[in-house]
Amino acid sequence: MRALVVEDDKDLNRQLVSALADAGFAVDTAVDGEEGCFLGDTEPYDVVILDIGLPKMDGISILEQWRRAERKMPVILLTARDRWSDKVSGMDAGADDYLAKPFHMEELLARVRAQVRRASGHAKAEIECGPLRLDTKSARVTCDGQQIKLTSHEFRLLQYLMHHNGRVVSRTELVEHMYDQDFDRDSNTIEVFIGRLRKKIPGDIIQTVRGLGYRMSHGPDEV
Amino acid sequence: MKFNSLAFRLFATSAAWVLVVLPLAGYLIYSLYRDDVQLGFDSQLKKLLTALSIDSMNTSGSDPVTPPNLYEPLFEVTHSGWYWQIRPLEGASGRRLVSASLASGELPSPYDKKFPTDTTGTRWMNVPGPTGEQIRILEVVDSPGHDPDKTKYSVIVAGPIDWLEATVAKFRNRLSIALALTGLGLVTVTLFQVRFGLLPLRRIEKGLASIRSGDASVLAGQLPAEIEPLQSELNALIKSNQDIVDRARTQVGNLAHALKTPLAVITNEARDNTSPFAGKVAEQAQLMRDQVTHYLDRARMAAGAGAIGRVTQVEATVEPLVRALERIHRDKGIAIVKKIAAGAKFQGEKQDLEEMLGNVLDNACKWGRKTVTLTVKISNGDGKSRPKLLLIDVDDDGPGLTDEQRSKIGKRGLRLDETTPGTGLGVSIVADLAASYRGNLALEASPQGGLGVRLQLPAA
Repeated sequence: MRALVVEDDKDLNRQLVSALADAGFAVDTAVDGEEGCFLGDTEPYDVVILDIGLPKMDGISILEQWRRAERKMPVILLTARDRWSDKVSGMDAGADDYLAKPFHMEELLARVRAQVRRASGHAKAEIECGPLRLDTKSARVTCDGQQIKLTSHEFRLLQYLMHHNGRVVSRTELVEHMYDQDFDRDSNTIEVFIGRLRKKIPGDIIQTVRGLGYRMSHGPDEV
Repeated sequence: MKFNSLAFRLFATSAAWVLVVLPLAGYLIYSLYRDDVQLGFDSQLKKLLTALSIDSMNTSGSDPVTPPNLYEPLFEVTHSGWYWQIRPLEGASGRRLVSASLASGELPSPYDKKFPTDTTGTRWMNVPGPTGEQIRILEVVDSPGHDPDKTKYSVIVAGPIDWLEATVAKFRNRLSIALALTGLGLVTVTLFQVRFGLLPLRRIEKGLASIRSGDASVLAGQLPAEIEPLQSELNALIKSNQDIVDRARTQVGNLAHALKTPLAVITNEARDNTSPFAGKVAEQAQLMRDQVTHYLDRARMAAGAGAIGRVTQVEATVEPLVRALERIHRDKGIAIVKKIAAGAKFQGEKQDLEEMLGNVLDNACKWGRKTVTLTVKISNGDGKSRPKLLLIDVDDDGPGLTDEQRSKIGKRGLRLDETTPGTGLGVSIVADLAASYRGNLALEASPQGGLGVRLQLPAA
């Protein structure tokens, strides 16, 4: 899952990035409006955390520009202005959620997860796929009730596949959503991680669709 | 027309003037006319008397001669009211001459009745004549040949004065009618003048009313030169009031932004660390955050409370708010059912209405199960002691609150200092905001099972 953090306060920006990275996100960051707007326009993010008060271009304008350009990723607005009038104008500009500063990081992470889940079409906090179960709130994966220990990269990969279970996910897509923009991308590494994952979970859950990519079987459409 | 009004003052002064001046003028004109008529009549009588006495006494004999009637044809008509008579004084013997009109009658002598003479030696007297009509008698005393040694004769001329009274009375009546009509006309014109003259004030009144009701933002239109300064000053006042409120809001917003981001950083940093020091920092940062939020809300409220003539359409405010709330709570799939009375308007800032409804509805969405109902009704006050009110009810079908919890939260007259900020329900800010508009917030058990919030706010 890739996240974009647009926040001009360097300390808060760092805190957000580290919290999101710990939660299994590949995070890109921008400290001014123009840069943030450009990144959101060009990269495929699964969630964006957008401050409203930004240098060069304010958050509401950025959001409106994205929505005009049909960029539909979930956006959580972050602002010190916490009146309902601000919230209403933020939601009207196309935000999916609104968080007032100061906030607890747990609260933010919970909202981020909820937005990601919703964007991939899951109504419940838990995503099931055969015996596999992903609790999006606690970021834990269990198989038949047994918790599975995963490395950060393995988790990112499995999380993305489970969010999009039932459809074919290409390697390119996986690479785009697993790594931040500065990462040296090599789609071969995906195969390595898939191999490792298949050893930890029932092997037939992740199917290889030749020439296209991967698909999680036992998704809701097959049951 | 009210007693204490400009219109009444203007009207009363000019009506009083008319009431005093017109009768005075009438009396003056009347007496001038009467004197004039009287004088003309008297001088005619005097001329006749002079001519008669000269003609009758210009003789060398001891008796007066019959004067030729060259003066007044009515002396020849019996009982015409015009008479003359010459006879010796005090019963002395001598010739008695009378006009044909007098016939067998006799005229009384003012000399006998001891009337005083005027400067020309003439005596005047008003008496009933031979036929009972009022006549005016003039008398001089003379002797034939104007010789003081000869027998003294009384020479009398009389003329009718009934017509004189009638003429004067007729004039008086006509004058009274004319003056009364003039007075009526003047009063009517004054009334019109006052109405027309004060029309621009009426327009100011209407203009201010529409500013209060929010239909206009300035006092528009061309007003007369005298009240134009008032208009421009008033507009400047409204604008400066608005500017102050807007500036205060902006400053408060900036302050909020400037404080809250560092606070967020401190809080997050401290929570990542497990040392007692970090714990203390986190605790204090939380306190600071609560205080900042609380006092910023108060500051915004104070800025908003003094604003003049801001009016907010309830329907137009609720629409985007409900949209935003349904989006925020879309995971829950909660439905907000709204029943808003047509044309409901809130007398106050849009932001404040949003804040109150936002907090209350957000709570309802958090705790409600399926449906949240928002009902807005207008209660028409009687215009004076009871103002027009908006009755806003928000009901949810959630677990609700116990009586004890409700009385704790919804206590009226909740003082700022006693209220713990951040109760998690946002009710204290709603109660404070409502109070700043002289409104009222009450909590009760909802017929739908959950919490029922009853908000009363001034309507426009």
